[in-house]
Amino acid sequence: MAEGESASSERTLRPEFTGSGAEYFRVWVVNLLFSLLTLGIYSAWAKVRKKKYLYGCTRLDGDSFDYFARPEAILKGRIVAVLAFAAYALVGELYPESRFAFWGAAAIAAPWVIVRSLIFNARNSAWRGLRFHFNGTPGEAARVFLGLLAVTAVTLGLAYPWFVARSKRFVLEHHALGSSRFGCELSTPAFFWLYLRALLMQIGLLLPAGALAFLGVWALRSHESLSVLAIALPALAVYAVYAVVYGYLQARTANLMWNGSYGPGLRFSSTIEAKKLIRIYFGNIVAVIFSAGLMIPWAVVRTLKYRLSCLAVVLEQEVVHEADPGFARVGATGQELGDFFNLDLGL
Amino acid sequence: MSILRARYFDGQRSIGHDVSVILGSGALKLVGRDIDLHFDSRQVRVAPRVADAPRWIYLPGGGACALEDNDVVDALAREGRFARFLHRLESRPAYAALALALVVAALWVLIDRGVPAAAEQVALRIPPATESVLGRETLAALDRYWMKPSTLPAMRRAALSARFHLMAEAARDLPPHRLVFRSSPRIGPNAFALPAGTIVITDQLVALAHSDSEVLAVLAHELGHVAHRHVMRRLLQGSATALIIAGVTGDITSTTSLAASAPVLLLQAKYSRDYEREADRYGIALLRKAHIPPRSFALILERLQAAATARHRGGVPGFLASHPSTEEREALAREAATH
Repeated sequence: MAEGESASSERTLRPEFTGSGAEYFRVWVVNLLFSLLTLGIYSAWAKVRKKKYLYGCTRLDGDSFDYFARPEAILKGRIVAVLAFAAYALVGELYPESRFAFWGAAAIAAPWVIVRSLIFNARNSAWRGLRFHFNGTPGEAARVFLGLLAVTAVTLGLAYPWFVARSKRFVLEHHALGSSRFGCELSTPAFFWLYLRALLMQIGLLLPAGALAFLGVWALRSHESLSVLAIALPALAVYAVYAVVYGYLQARTANLMWNGSYGPGLRFSSTIEAKKLIRIYFGNIVAVIFSAGLMIPWAVVRTLKYRLSCLAVVLEQEVVHEADPGFARVGATGQELGDFFNLDLGL
Repeated sequence: MSILRARYFDGQRSIGHDVSVILGSGALKLVGRDIDLHFDSRQVRVAPRVADAPRWIYLPGGGACALEDNDVVDALAREGRFARFLHRLESRPAYAALALALVVAALWVLIDRGVPAAAEQVALRIPPATESVLGRETLAALDRYWMKPSTLPAMRRAALSARFHLMAEAARDLPPHRLVFRSSPRIGPNAFALPAGTIVITDQLVALAHSDSEVLAVLAHELGHVAHRHVMRRLLQGSATALIIAGVTGDITSTTSLAASAPVLLLQAKYSRDYEREADRYGIALLRKAHIPPRSFALILERLQAAATARHRGGVPGFLASHPSTEEREALAREAATH
């Protein structure tokens, strides 16, 4: 009786995206124009506007998300990031040995950058009037990202799936909506099996792709622009294989991560199909290339729509989340540094 | 007075309340089941409108309201002129098309004119000595893998060096420069300007030339790269374009942005052709100042082209090439010769 009751009281919420690619394109292009005209200064305001649109059009249980970062904070962060990038690009090029110093500094700064970036984004996002939080510490980030990465290097990459599982867990379990902490239990063997399958898939695809590229070069051997094709065809084949494996890993790790995550009275479920995600990625790549980048907003919305449609929040009971009273403002420097140096946290 | 439907959140608990927002003179009232709140409308902040995404109103004390009817909120909120202008631009396809055309134009001006001009100004202010470490390491790497010491007789090298320095004196304001001889069957007949003004010439090029003037014509072109600080400008332009591309393609996942960064290759090739044209013009002007016939440049280009064709079958399409076409460059030299 009790069991039947709890099963019937479960409620599944599916997030949905109520915006459109065309609408996002208009926002994107106008804000890009202002960013270009102000030589990048406006880009901080543009970023907030675009995120506000994407968050505002994402609804869960009828209510939309909100993003309200202060553009001034983002601008300050961007200036620091651009200066760091310029120093790295110029000094690193002119004095090749200084690269080691940069990498050393980057390794030391990385845990701080990761944590501050997650905190900034979480605290500036809200659902139903409650802010998200992130309460991981740089020390723990250093253990996960530097410590485990070192283990990965020592084991010649064998420990990499373990590193992925631990870093995903770190990101998820320190997030909270108000004072409701999320949790995350991941099965490490599942990650090892996943990466083993991905590796086999890569080998299995590279052989026919390489053979095809070779045949292409062979068939065109008397053609006059052969030297370009001889490089382009194999590169294209490798790139295609890379995109397939990347899509596969993205789909499967997202599923593993969300299916292992929960919160007070709720759990997540994710059912992304690798095949569909790979098809979406290929469509995006072709569209972005042939439109010289103009289809980027369309690609963003399309990917977001699919990913949201596969995510579900299963409410085991109706829970009211409450605000976290301990709230302080953080700067955006960490986030902007992370964005510039491509720290992809992949949530 | 007007009444709007809204969802109200108190900021303390994740509960949404359906409320009516009543806007009166100077006051904002929220009325719903168990809700009856009054706020001073000066303390209420209305979020800027972004397309038709729900509109947020932030209340004093941490509460917030989400409203769906943007047009009504617009009529009531006193938004700044820029915010209204921005929304108007974002809401009509015709304006978006105009913005798109302006984005393309702005990008073109920035990449074709702005970045090279800014890079030139900055490069001229950076002392050439900053390149010396890179110059030394580049030459050392080339020596290790690609080049051997020159086998030209010392007398011949000394004579060419003397004529090279005589010619360089005809140019004023040249940054520090030096000429080094190397042999490299793998590179073939070639000359190139390395960072910090080191010009390398291969024995194979000296052998290919029919006269010293032809050798000097190539060296004059290389001095053009040195004079115009092309090494530093390539670095600066590379970083600047990387920033621009990152700014434009910012919000997509890495696989797709890899695809979006393909234009970087095309841009680098374009900038490289621009440098070659600039070095050609400089070289020809220098030849005339040093009383060396510019026709020598056309002759050696022709020989280099013939040698390159013999070495490789085929070539790259124009838009990927690092140099302008030989026909274009020869025409420039011949035109200079007839004047």
